Amino acid sequence: MSDSTVHYRWKRPHFIETPYIRYGLLALAAIYLIFALSTLRVNPQRIVEGIPRAINMFRGAVPPDFESRGGLIVRGFIESIQMTLIATAAGVALSVPIAFMAARNIAILPIYAVGRMIVVVARSLHPVVLGVLFVSAVGFGAFAGILTLIMYTLGFVGKLLAEAIEEIKYGQVEGVRATGAGFFATLAYAVFPQVLPRLIGLSIYQLDINLRASAIVGLVGAGGIGATLNTAFGRYDYATASAILLVMIGIILVAEGISGRLRGLTK
Amino acid sequence: MLQITDLVKSYNNGEPVLKGLNLATDERRLTAIIGSSGAGKSTLLRCINRLVTADSGRIELDGINILELHGKRLQDTRRQIGMIFQAYNLVDRLTVMENVLSGRLGYVGTLRGVLRRFPQSDIDRAYALLKRVGLSQYVNTRCDSLSGGERQRVGVARALMQNPRILLADEPTASLDPKTSERIMELISRITDELDLPVLINLHNVPQARDYADRIVGLRYGVIVFDGGPQDLTDDWLEKIYAGHEDDLKKQMKVAGEDGANE
Repeated sequence: MSDSTVHYRWKRPHFIETPYIRYGLLALAAIYLIFALSTLRVNPQRIVEGIPRAINMFRGAVPPDFESRGGLIVRGFIESIQMTLIATAAGVALSVPIAFMAARNIAILPIYAVGRMIVVVARSLHPVVLGVLFVSAVGFGAFAGILTLIMYTLGFVGKLLAEAIEEIKYGQVEGVRATGAGFFATLAYAVFPQVLPRLIGLSIYQLDINLRASAIVGLVGAGGIGATLNTAFGRYDYATASAILLVMIGIILVAEGISGRLRGLTK
Repeated sequence: MLQITDLVKSYNNGEPVLKGLNLATDERRLTAIIGSSGAGKSTLLRCINRLVTADSGRIELDGINILELHGKRLQDTRRQIGMIFQAYNLVDRLTVMENVLSGRLGYVGTLRGVLRRFPQSDIDRAYALLKRVGLSQYVNTRCDSLSGGERQRVGVARALMQNPRILLADEPTASLDPKTSERIMELISRITDELDLPVLINLHNVPQARDYADRIVGLRYGVIVFDGGPQDLTDDWLEKIYAGHEDDLKKQMKVAGEDGANE
Protein backbone atom coordinates (compact mmCIF):
# COMPACT_ATOMS: atom_id res chain seq x y z
CA MET A 1 0.00 0.00 0.00
CA SER A 2 1.47 3.28 -1.07
CA ASP A 3 -0.56 5.49 1.28
CA SER A 4 0.38 3.54 4.39
CA THR A 5 3.19 5.99 5.10
CA VAL A 6 0.91 8.88 6.08
CA HIS A 7 2.13 10.40 9.33
CA TYR A 8 -0.09 11.93 11.93
CA ARG A 9 1.17 14.56 14.32
CA TRP A 10 -0.11 14.23 17.85
CA LYS A 11 0.47 16.35 20.92
CA ARG A 12 -1.36 16.16 24.22
CA PRO A 13 -4.03 18.91 24.15
CA HIS A 14 -3.36 21.82 26.50
CA PHE A 15 -5.47 22.17 29.63
CA ILE A 16 -6.24 25.79 28.62
CA GLU A 17 -6.75 26.01 24.85
CA THR A 18 -6.19 29.72 24.16
CA PRO A 19 -2.47 30.60 24.24
CA TYR A 20 -3.10 34.22 25.38
CA ILE A 21 -4.97 33.04 28.46
CA ARG A 22 -2.55 30.21 29.08
CA TYR A 23 0.60 32.35 29.09
CA GLY A 24 -1.21 35.33 30.60
CA LEU A 25 -2.17 33.29 33.69
CA LEU A 26 1.39 31.98 34.03
CA ALA A 27 2.75 35.56 33.86
CA LEU A 28 0.25 36.74 36.48
CA ALA A 29 1.25 33.93 38.82
CA ALA A 30 4.94 34.82 38.41
CA ILE A 31 4.31 38.53 39.08
CA TYR A 32 2.31 37.70 42.21
CA LEU A 33 5.03 35.38 43.48
CA ILE A 34 7.68 38.10 43.09
CA PHE A 35 5.42 40.64 44.81
CA ALA A 36 4.67 38.26 47.68
CA LEU A 37 8.35 37.47 48.25
CA SER A 38 9.20 41.18 48.29
CA THR A 39 6.75 41.82 51.15
CA LEU A 40 8.31 39.15 53.35
CA ARG A 41 10.76 40.88 55.62
CA VAL A 42 13.02 38.09 56.69
CA ASN A 43 15.25 39.51 59.36
CA PRO A 44 18.54 37.58 59.37
CA GLN A 45 19.55 39.17 62.63
CA ARG A 46 16.54 37.70 64.47
CA ILE A 47 17.32 34.25 63.10
CA VAL A 48 20.92 34.49 64.28
CA GLU A 49 19.84 35.67 67.74
CA GLY A 50 17.26 32.90 67.93
CA ILE A 51 19.69 30.05 67.36
CA PRO A 52 21.34 30.14 70.80
CA ARG A 53 17.89 30.36 72.45
CA ALA A 54 16.76 27.30 70.56
CA ILE A 55 19.95 25.44 71.51
CA ASN A 56 19.41 26.45 75.11
CA MET A 57 15.85 25.10 75.01
CA PHE A 58 16.92 21.76 73.55
CA ARG A 59 19.72 21.51 76.10
CA GLY A 60 17.17 22.03 78.87
CA ALA A 61 14.89 19.41 77.30
CA VAL A 62 17.55 16.67 77.32
CA PRO A 63 17.38 14.47 79.26
CA PRO A 64 13.58 14.55 79.72
CA ASP A 65 12.49 14.65 83.34
CA PHE A 66 9.72 12.18 84.06
CA GLU A 67 10.07 12.20 87.82
CA SER A 68 9.94 15.60 89.50
CA ARG A 69 6.47 16.36 88.06
CA GLY A 70 5.50 12.72 87.53
CA GLY A 71 2.24 12.97 89.47
CA LEU A 72 1.08 15.95 87.42
CA ILE A 73 1.93 14.21 84.15
CA VAL A 74 0.01 11.06 85.06
CA ARG A 75 -2.98 13.08 86.27
CA GLY A 76 -2.91 15.17 83.09
CA PHE A 77 -2.92 12.15 80.84
CA ILE A 78 -5.65 10.41 82.78
CA GLU A 79 -7.77 13.53 82.46
CA SER A 80 -7.08 13.73 78.73
CA ILE A 81 -8.01 10.11 78.18
CA GLN A 82 -11.21 10.53 80.20
CA MET A 83 -12.12 13.64 78.20
CA THR A 84 -11.49 11.72 74.99
CA LEU A 85 -13.64 8.74 75.94
CA ILE A 86 -16.57 10.78 77.26
CA ALA A 87 -16.52 13.23 74.37
CA THR A 88 -16.26 10.50 71.73
CA ALA A 89 -19.13 8.49 73.21
CA ALA A 90 -21.40 11.50 73.59
CA GLY A 91 -20.35 12.98 70.26
CA VAL A 92 -20.99 9.78 68.31
CA ALA A 93 -24.36 9.31 70.03
CA LEU A 94 -25.35 12.83 68.94
CA SER A 95 -23.88 12.37 65.44
CA VAL A 96 -26.18 9.48 64.52
CA PRO A 97 -29.52 11.35 64.61
CA ILE A 98 -27.93 14.44 63.09
CA ALA A 99 -26.40 12.39 60.27
CA PHE A 100 -29.85 10.97 59.45
CA MET A 101 -31.21 14.52 59.44
CA ALA A 102 -28.41 15.65 57.16
CA ALA A 103 -28.85 12.88 54.56
CA ARG A 104 -30.79 14.15 51.55
CA ASN A 105 -32.22 10.74 50.61
CA ILE A 106 -33.79 10.28 54.07
CA ALA A 107 -34.83 13.67 55.43
CA ILE A 108 -37.39 16.09 54.03
CA LEU A 109 -35.96 19.43 52.97
CA PRO A 110 -36.51 21.53 56.16
CA ILE A 111 -35.04 18.83 58.40
CA TYR A 112 -32.18 18.31 55.96
CA ALA A 113 -31.43 22.05 56.09
CA VAL A 114 -31.29 22.02 59.90
CA GLY A 115 -29.10 18.88 59.97
CA ARG A 116 -26.69 20.26 57.37
CA MET A 117 -26.48 23.56 59.22
CA ILE A 118 -25.51 21.86 62.50
CA VAL A 119 -22.82 19.86 60.71
CA VAL A 120 -21.49 22.89 58.81
CA VAL A 121 -21.29 25.04 61.94
CA ALA A 122 -19.57 22.27 63.91
CA ARG A 123 -17.09 21.75 61.08
CA SER A 124 -16.33 25.37 60.32
CA LEU A 125 -14.82 26.05 63.76
CA HIS A 126 -11.40 24.64 64.54
CA PRO A 127 -11.17 22.86 67.92
CA VAL A 128 -8.86 25.57 69.27
CA VAL A 129 -11.46 28.24 68.44
CA LEU A 130 -14.21 26.09 69.94
CA GLY A 131 -12.00 25.56 73.01
CA VAL A 132 -11.59 29.33 73.49
CA LEU A 133 -15.37 29.78 73.15
CA PHE A 134 -16.24 27.04 75.65
CA VAL A 135 -13.57 28.10 78.15
CA SER A 136 -15.03 31.58 78.23
CA ALA A 137 -18.54 30.11 78.46
CA VAL A 138 -18.10 27.46 81.19
CA GLY A 139 -14.70 28.34 82.65
CA PHE A 140 -11.30 26.62 82.63
CA GLY A 141 -11.05 22.86 82.95
CA ALA A 142 -11.99 19.53 81.49
CA PHE A 143 -15.69 20.30 81.03
CA ALA A 144 -14.90 22.96 78.42
CA GLY A 145 -12.59 20.44 76.74
CA ILE A 146 -15.29 17.79 76.65
CA LEU A 147 -17.79 20.19 75.06
CA THR A 148 -15.19 21.18 72.49
CA LEU A 149 -14.45 17.60 71.53
CA ILE A 150 -18.16 16.74 71.32
CA MET A 151 -18.66 19.52 68.79
CA TYR A 152 -15.57 18.40 66.89
CA THR A 153 -16.85 14.81 66.78
CA LEU A 154 -20.27 15.97 65.67
CA GLY A 155 -18.81 17.81 62.70
CA PHE A 156 -16.62 14.99 61.51
CA VAL A 157 -18.67 11.86 62.22
CA GLY A 158 -21.94 13.65 61.41
CA LYS A 159 -20.78 14.71 57.98
CA LEU A 160 -19.11 11.47 56.93
CA LEU A 161 -21.96 9.33 58.28
CA ALA A 162 -24.49 11.49 56.41
CA GLU A 163 -22.51 10.87 53.23
CA ALA A 164 -22.48 7.13 53.93
CA ILE A 165 -26.27 7.22 54.38
CA GLU A 166 -26.63 9.00 51.05
CA GLU A 167 -24.73 6.17 49.35
CA ILE A 168 -26.78 3.22 50.63
CA LYS A 169 -28.36 0.72 48.28
CA TYR A 170 -31.94 1.85 47.89
CA GLY A 171 -33.27 -1.53 46.83
CA GLN A 172 -32.85 -2.84 50.36
CA VAL A 173 -34.88 0.11 51.65
CA GLU A 174 -37.63 -0.61 49.11
CA GLY A 175 -37.65 -4.25 50.15
CA VAL A 176 -38.39 -3.34 53.76
CA ARG A 177 -40.74 -0.47 52.89
CA ALA A 178 -42.84 -2.79 50.72
CA THR A 179 -43.65 -4.93 53.78
CA GLY A 180 -45.60 -2.01 55.28
CA ALA A 181 -42.87 -1.09 57.76
CA GLY A 182 -43.09 2.42 59.21
CA PHE A 183 -40.51 5.15 58.67
CA PHE A 184 -38.42 4.51 61.77
CA ALA A 185 -38.62 0.73 61.44
CA THR A 186 -37.38 1.08 57.85
CA LEU A 187 -34.46 3.25 59.01
CA ALA A 188 -33.55 0.73 61.70
CA TYR A 189 -33.86 -2.32 59.44
CA ALA A 190 -32.76 -1.20 56.00
CA VAL A 191 -30.58 1.89 56.46
CA PHE A 192 -28.79 1.48 59.78
CA PRO A 193 -27.33 -1.99 59.06
CA GLN A 194 -25.89 -0.67 55.81
CA VAL A 195 -23.99 2.17 57.52
CA LEU A 196 -23.10 0.37 60.76
CA PRO A 197 -19.59 -0.72 59.67
CA ARG A 198 -18.86 2.84 58.57
CA LEU A 199 -20.13 4.18 61.91
CA ILE A 200 -17.91 1.83 63.89
CA GLY A 201 -14.90 2.69 61.76
CA LEU A 202 -15.53 6.42 62.07
CA SER A 203 -16.00 6.20 65.85
CA ILE A 204 -12.71 4.41 66.35
CA TYR A 205 -10.94 6.85 64.07
CA GLN A 206 -12.51 9.77 65.90
CA LEU A 207 -11.33 8.35 69.23
CA ASP A 208 -7.83 8.52 67.85
CA ILE A 209 -8.32 12.10 66.57
CA ASN A 210 -9.91 13.25 69.84
CA LEU A 211 -6.97 11.99 71.86
CA ARG A 212 -4.68 14.27 69.84
CA ALA A 213 -7.12 17.16 69.95
CA SER A 214 -7.52 16.79 73.73
CA ALA A 215 -3.87 17.79 74.09
CA ILE A 216 -4.35 20.83 71.85
CA VAL A 217 -7.47 22.15 73.57
CA GLY A 218 -5.62 21.95 76.88
CA LEU A 219 -3.31 24.69 75.58
CA VAL A 220 -6.21 27.16 75.62
CA GLY A 221 -7.19 26.14 79.13
CA ALA A 222 -9.65 23.35 78.46
CA GLY A 223 -8.03 20.80 80.79
CA GLY A 224 -6.07 17.62 80.24
CA ILE A 225 -2.41 17.07 79.45
CA GLY A 226 -2.34 20.17 77.23
CA ALA A 227 -2.83 22.31 80.32
CA THR A 228 0.06 20.53 82.07
CA LEU A 229 2.25 21.03 79.00
CA ASN A 230 1.36 24.71 78.85
CA THR A 231 2.31 25.16 82.50
CA ALA A 232 5.62 23.38 81.97
CA PHE A 233 6.52 25.71 79.08
CA GLY A 234 5.39 28.72 81.08
CA ARG A 235 7.83 27.77 83.85
CA TYR A 236 10.69 27.18 81.36
CA ASP A 237 10.67 23.58 82.65
CA TYR A 238 11.73 22.13 79.29
CA ALA A 239 12.76 18.77 80.80
CA THR A 240 9.20 18.09 82.02
CA ALA A 241 7.77 19.43 78.73
CA SER A 242 9.87 17.03 76.68
CA ALA A 243 8.84 14.17 78.98
CA ILE A 244 5.20 15.03 78.32
CA LEU A 245 5.80 15.16 74.57
CA LEU A 246 7.49 11.75 74.60
CA VAL A 247 4.64 10.15 76.55
CA MET A 248 2.16 11.81 74.19
CA ILE A 249 3.89 10.37 71.14
CA GLY A 250 3.95 6.95 72.80
CA ILE A 251 0.26 6.99 73.69
CA ILE A 252 -0.78 8.18 70.25
CA LEU A 253 1.31 5.50 68.55
CA VAL A 254 -0.33 2.84 70.70
CA ALA A 255 -3.79 4.30 70.10
CA GLU A 256 -3.19 4.40 66.37
CA GLY A 257 -2.07 0.78 66.35
CA ILE A 258 -5.13 -0.36 68.28
CA SER A 259 -7.56 1.70 66.20
CA GLY A 260 -6.07 0.44 62.95
CA ARG A 261 -6.41 -3.14 64.17
CA LEU A 262 -10.02 -2.59 65.30
CA ARG A 263 -11.05 -0.90 62.07
CA GLY A 264 -9.61 -3.81 60.14
CA LEU A 265 -12.09 -6.06 61.94
CA THR A 266 -15.22 -4.24 60.75
CA LYS A 267 -16.60 -5.27 57.39
CA MET B 1 -60.30 -8.13 44.82
CA LEU B 2 -57.67 -6.13 42.93
CA GLN B 3 -59.20 -3.74 40.45
CA ILE B 4 -57.06 -1.35 38.40
CA THR B 5 -58.89 1.34 36.45
CA ASP B 6 -57.49 3.86 33.94
CA LEU B 7 -54.04 3.80 35.51
CA VAL B 8 -51.69 6.45 34.10
CA LYS B 9 -48.07 6.89 35.13
CA SER B 10 -45.28 8.94 33.60
CA TYR B 11 -41.83 9.74 34.95
CA ASN B 12 -40.64 13.37 35.03
CA ASN B 13 -43.54 14.53 32.86
CA GLY B 14 -42.30 12.42 29.96
CA GLU B 15 -44.29 10.13 27.71
CA PRO B 16 -46.57 8.03 29.95
CA VAL B 17 -45.28 4.53 30.72
CA LEU B 18 -48.79 3.33 31.57
CA LYS B 19 -51.56 4.76 29.43
CA GLY B 20 -54.93 4.20 31.05
CA LEU B 21 -54.39 0.60 32.01
CA ASN B 22 -57.27 -1.61 33.21
CA LEU B 23 -56.75 -4.93 34.94
CA ALA B 24 -58.66 -6.96 37.48
CA THR B 25 -57.91 -10.16 39.29
CA ASP B 26 -60.13 -11.67 41.93
CA GLU B 27 -59.57 -15.37 42.35
CA ARG B 28 -56.57 -17.42 43.27
CA ARG B 29 -54.51 -17.70 40.16
CA LEU B 30 -51.14 -16.91 38.81
CA THR B 31 -51.25 -14.06 36.32
CA ALA B 32 -48.08 -13.58 34.32
CA ILE B 33 -47.40 -10.19 32.78
CA ILE B 34 -45.14 -10.34 29.75
CA GLY B 35 -43.81 -7.70 27.41
CA SER B 36 -40.55 -6.25 26.16
CA SER B 37 -38.41 -4.11 28.42
CA GLY B 38 -39.89 -0.64 28.72
CA ALA B 39 -43.45 -1.93 28.32
CA GLY B 40 -44.29 -0.81 31.86
CA LYS B 41 -44.37 -4.15 33.69
CA SER B 42 -42.29 -3.06 36.67
CA THR B 43 -44.01 0.30 36.88
CA LEU B 44 -47.38 -1.44 37.05
CA LEU B 45 -46.38 -3.60 40.01
CA ARG B 46 -44.63 -0.74 41.78
CA CYS B 47 -47.75 1.41 41.43
CA ILE B 48 -49.81 -1.26 43.17
CA ASN B 49 -47.86 -1.14 46.43
CA ARG B 50 -47.03 2.55 45.96
CA LEU B 51 -43.27 2.26 45.65
CA VAL B 52 -44.01 4.75 42.87
CA THR B 53 -47.01 7.05 42.82
CA ALA B 54 -49.33 6.86 39.82
CA ASP B 55 -50.50 10.07 38.11
CA SER B 56 -54.17 9.16 37.89
CA GLY B 57 -56.63 6.28 37.89
CA ARG B 58 -57.70 3.92 40.64
CA ILE B 59 -56.15 0.83 42.19
CA GLU B 60 -58.62 -0.83 44.52
CA LEU B 61 -57.74 -3.63 46.90
CA ASP B 62 -60.93 -4.97 48.45
CA GLY B 63 -62.67 -1.73 47.55
CA ILE B 64 -60.06 0.60 49.08
CA ASN B 65 -58.37 2.96 46.61
CA ILE B 66 -54.66 2.57 47.33
CA LEU B 67 -53.79 5.77 45.49
CA GLU B 68 -55.60 7.89 48.10
CA LEU B 69 -53.93 6.40 51.19
CA HIS B 70 -51.33 8.08 53.38
CA GLY B 71 -49.22 7.29 56.40
CA LYS B 72 -50.50 4.56 58.67
CA ARG B 73 -53.36 3.54 56.37
CA LEU B 74 -50.95 3.14 53.46
CA GLN B 75 -48.73 0.91 55.63
CA ASP B 76 -51.75 -1.15 56.65
CA THR B 77 -52.52 -1.78 52.99
CA ARG B 78 -48.90 -2.38 52.01
CA ARG B 79 -48.55 -5.13 54.57
CA GLN B 80 -51.35 -7.00 52.79
CA ILE B 81 -49.36 -6.91 49.54
CA GLY B 82 -46.31 -9.16 49.45
CA MET B 83 -43.58 -8.32 46.94
CA ILE B 84 -40.73 -10.36 45.52
CA PHE B 85 -38.00 -8.42 43.69
CA GLN B 86 -35.68 -9.22 40.84
CA ALA B 87 -32.63 -8.17 42.88
CA TYR B 88 -34.08 -9.84 46.02
CA ASN B 89 -33.82 -6.50 47.92
CA LEU B 90 -32.89 -8.22 51.16
CA VAL B 91 -30.87 -6.35 53.75
CA ASP B 92 -27.47 -7.91 53.09
CA ARG B 93 -25.98 -7.37 56.51
CA LEU B 94 -28.91 -8.83 58.45
CA THR B 95 -29.45 -12.52 59.04
CA VAL B 96 -31.91 -14.70 57.17
CA MET B 97 -34.18 -14.71 60.22
CA GLU B 98 -34.13 -10.92 60.57
CA ASN B 99 -34.98 -10.51 56.91
CA VAL B 100 -37.88 -12.92 57.15
CA LEU B 101 -39.14 -11.30 60.35
CA SER B 102 -38.98 -7.89 58.67
CA GLY B 103 -42.10 -9.07 56.86
CA ARG B 104 -43.92 -8.48 60.16
CA LEU B 105 -42.76 -4.89 60.59
CA GLY B 106 -46.11 -3.67 59.30
CA TYR B 107 -47.79 -5.48 62.20
CA VAL B 108 -45.56 -5.11 65.26
CA GLY B 109 -44.73 -1.78 66.88
CA THR B 110 -41.56 0.04 65.81
CA LEU B 111 -39.81 -0.47 69.14
CA ARG B 112 -40.54 -4.19 69.25
CA GLY B 113 -39.31 -4.50 65.69
CA VAL B 114 -36.12 -2.55 66.33
CA LEU B 115 -35.36 -4.62 69.44
CA ARG B 116 -36.16 -7.86 67.54
CA ARG B 117 -38.84 -8.71 70.12
CA PHE B 118 -41.35 -10.35 67.79
CA PRO B 119 -44.35 -12.27 69.14
CA GLN B 120 -43.79 -16.01 69.52
CA SER B 121 -46.39 -16.70 66.81
CA ASP B 122 -44.34 -14.68 64.31
CA ILE B 123 -41.18 -16.58 65.18
CA ASP B 124 -42.98 -19.90 64.81
CA ARG B 125 -44.33 -18.79 61.44
CA ALA B 126 -40.88 -17.66 60.31
CA TYR B 127 -39.38 -21.04 61.20
CA ALA B 128 -42.21 -22.81 59.40
CA LEU B 129 -41.74 -20.69 56.27
CA LEU B 130 -37.97 -21.15 56.28
CA LYS B 131 -38.54 -24.88 56.51
CA ARG B 132 -41.04 -24.69 53.66
CA VAL B 133 -38.58 -22.88 51.37
CA GLY B 134 -35.76 -25.21 52.46
CA LEU B 135 -33.54 -22.82 54.38
CA SER B 136 -33.87 -24.12 57.95
CA GLN B 137 -30.13 -24.55 58.26
CA TYR B 138 -29.45 -20.86 57.48
CA VAL B 139 -31.57 -19.19 60.18
CA ASN B 140 -28.69 -17.14 61.59
CA THR B 141 -26.63 -16.80 58.42
CA ARG B 142 -26.10 -13.34 57.02
CA CYS B 143 -27.90 -12.85 53.72
CA ASP B 144 -24.84 -11.62 51.85
CA SER B 145 -23.27 -15.06 52.16
CA LEU B 146 -26.16 -16.84 50.41
CA SER B 147 -26.36 -17.76 46.72
CA GLY B 148 -28.84 -16.04 44.41
CA GLY B 149 -31.37 -18.84 44.58
CA GLU B 150 -31.17 -18.99 48.36
CA ARG B 151 -31.63 -15.23 48.59
CA GLN B 152 -34.73 -15.37 46.47
CA ARG B 153 -36.11 -18.06 48.77
CA VAL B 154 -35.60 -15.67 51.67
CA GLY B 155 -37.38 -13.04 49.57
CA VAL B 156 -40.33 -15.40 49.09
CA ALA B 157 -40.41 -16.19 52.82
CA ARG B 158 -40.34 -12.49 53.71
CA ALA B 159 -43.25 -11.73 51.39
CA LEU B 160 -45.29 -14.64 52.76
CA MET B 161 -44.44 -13.63 56.32
CA GLN B 162 -46.69 -10.62 55.74
CA ASN B 163 -49.61 -13.01 55.45
CA PRO B 164 -50.53 -11.16 52.27
CA ARG B 165 -53.86 -10.95 50.45
CA ILE B 166 -52.00 -10.78 47.15
CA LEU B 167 -48.47 -11.42 45.97
CA LEU B 168 -46.51 -9.31 43.46
CA ALA B 169 -43.34 -10.63 41.88
CA ASP B 170 -41.18 -8.41 39.69
CA GLU B 171 -39.03 -10.61 37.45
CA PRO B 172 -38.26 -12.93 40.38
CA THR B 173 -36.16 -15.27 38.28
CA ALA B 174 -34.33 -12.90 35.94
CA SER B 175 -31.15 -12.72 38.06
CA LEU B 176 -30.89 -16.49 38.40
CA ASP B 177 -29.39 -19.22 36.27
CA PRO B 178 -31.93 -21.28 34.29
CA LYS B 179 -32.10 -24.22 36.67
CA THR B 180 -32.46 -22.14 39.83
CA SER B 181 -34.93 -19.93 38.02
CA GLU B 182 -37.10 -22.96 37.30
CA ARG B 183 -36.97 -24.03 40.96
CA ILE B 184 -38.02 -20.62 42.21
CA MET B 185 -40.94 -20.55 39.77
CA GLU B 186 -42.02 -23.97 41.02
CA LEU B 187 -41.78 -22.76 44.61
CA ILE B 188 -43.81 -19.62 43.95
CA SER B 189 -46.50 -21.45 42.03
CA ARG B 190 -46.80 -24.26 44.59
CA ILE B 191 -46.83 -22.03 47.63
CA THR B 192 -49.44 -19.75 46.14
CA ASP B 193 -51.50 -22.86 45.47
CA GLU B 194 -51.16 -23.96 49.08
CA LEU B 195 -51.98 -20.52 50.44
CA ASP B 196 -54.76 -19.68 48.00
CA LEU B 197 -53.15 -16.43 46.89
CA PRO B 198 -53.64 -14.39 43.75
CA VAL B 199 -50.25 -13.61 42.20
CA LEU B 200 -49.19 -10.98 39.69
CA ILE B 201 -45.84 -11.90 38.26
CA ASN B 202 -43.73 -10.03 35.72
CA LEU B 203 -41.90 -12.55 33.62
CA HIS B 204 -39.01 -12.12 31.33
CA ASN B 205 -39.18 -15.68 30.23
CA VAL B 206 -42.07 -16.51 27.89
CA PRO B 207 -41.88 -20.33 28.13
CA GLN B 208 -41.98 -20.00 31.94
CA ALA B 209 -45.09 -17.88 31.67
CA ARG B 210 -46.67 -20.56 29.47
CA ASP B 211 -45.68 -23.32 31.91
CA TYR B 212 -46.80 -21.78 35.19
CA ALA B 213 -49.39 -19.09 34.56
CA ASP B 214 -53.17 -19.59 34.63
CA ARG B 215 -53.56 -16.30 32.82
CA ILE B 216 -51.19 -14.27 30.70
CA VAL B 217 -51.35 -10.52 30.17
CA GLY B 218 -49.32 -9.02 27.34
CA LEU B 219 -48.22 -5.44 27.91
CA ARG B 220 -47.00 -3.23 25.10
CA TYR B 221 -46.06 0.43 25.61
CA GLY B 222 -48.28 0.79 28.66
CA VAL B 223 -51.39 -0.83 27.19
CA ILE B 224 -52.69 -4.37 27.59
CA VAL B 225 -52.74 -5.96 24.12
CA PHE B 226 -53.31 -9.56 25.13
CA ASP B 227 -55.26 -11.15 27.96
CA GLY B 228 -55.96 -14.86 27.98
CA GLY B 229 -54.94 -18.35 28.98
CA PRO B 230 -51.54 -19.80 28.13
CA GLN B 231 -53.10 -21.90 25.38
CA ASP B 232 -54.36 -18.73 23.68
CA LEU B 233 -50.90 -17.20 23.50
CA THR B 234 -50.02 -18.12 19.92
CA ASP B 235 -46.82 -17.16 18.18
CA ASP B 236 -48.82 -14.55 16.29
CA TRP B 237 -49.78 -12.93 19.56
CA LEU B 238 -46.19 -13.07 20.78
CA GLU B 239 -45.06 -11.28 17.63
CA LYS B 240 -47.64 -8.58 18.25
CA ILE B 241 -46.65 -8.16 21.90
CA TYR B 242 -42.96 -7.98 21.06
CA ALA B 243 -43.24 -6.18 17.68
CA GLY B 244 -40.18 -4.00 17.27
CA HIS B 245 -38.38 -5.97 19.97
CA GLU B 246 -37.90 -9.28 18.16
CA ASP B 247 -34.35 -9.64 19.49
CA ASP B 248 -35.71 -9.38 23.01
CA LEU B 249 -38.22 -12.14 22.32
CA LYS B 250 -35.66 -14.39 20.65
CA LYS B 251 -33.29 -14.04 23.60
CA GLN B 252 -36.00 -14.94 26.08
CA MET B 253 -37.13 -17.98 24.14
CA LYS B 254 -33.54 -19.14 23.83
CA VAL B 255 -32.81 -19.01 27.57
CA ALA B 256 -35.50 -21.58 28.13
CA GLY B 257 -34.30 -23.71 25.21
CA GLU B 258 -30.84 -24.00 26.72
CA ASP B 259 -32.39 -24.86 30.02
CA GLY B 260 -34.29 -27.71 28.39
CA ALA B 261 -31.06 -29.06 26.92
CA ASN B 262 -29.48 -29.11 30.36
CA GLU B 263 -32.18 -31.17 32.01
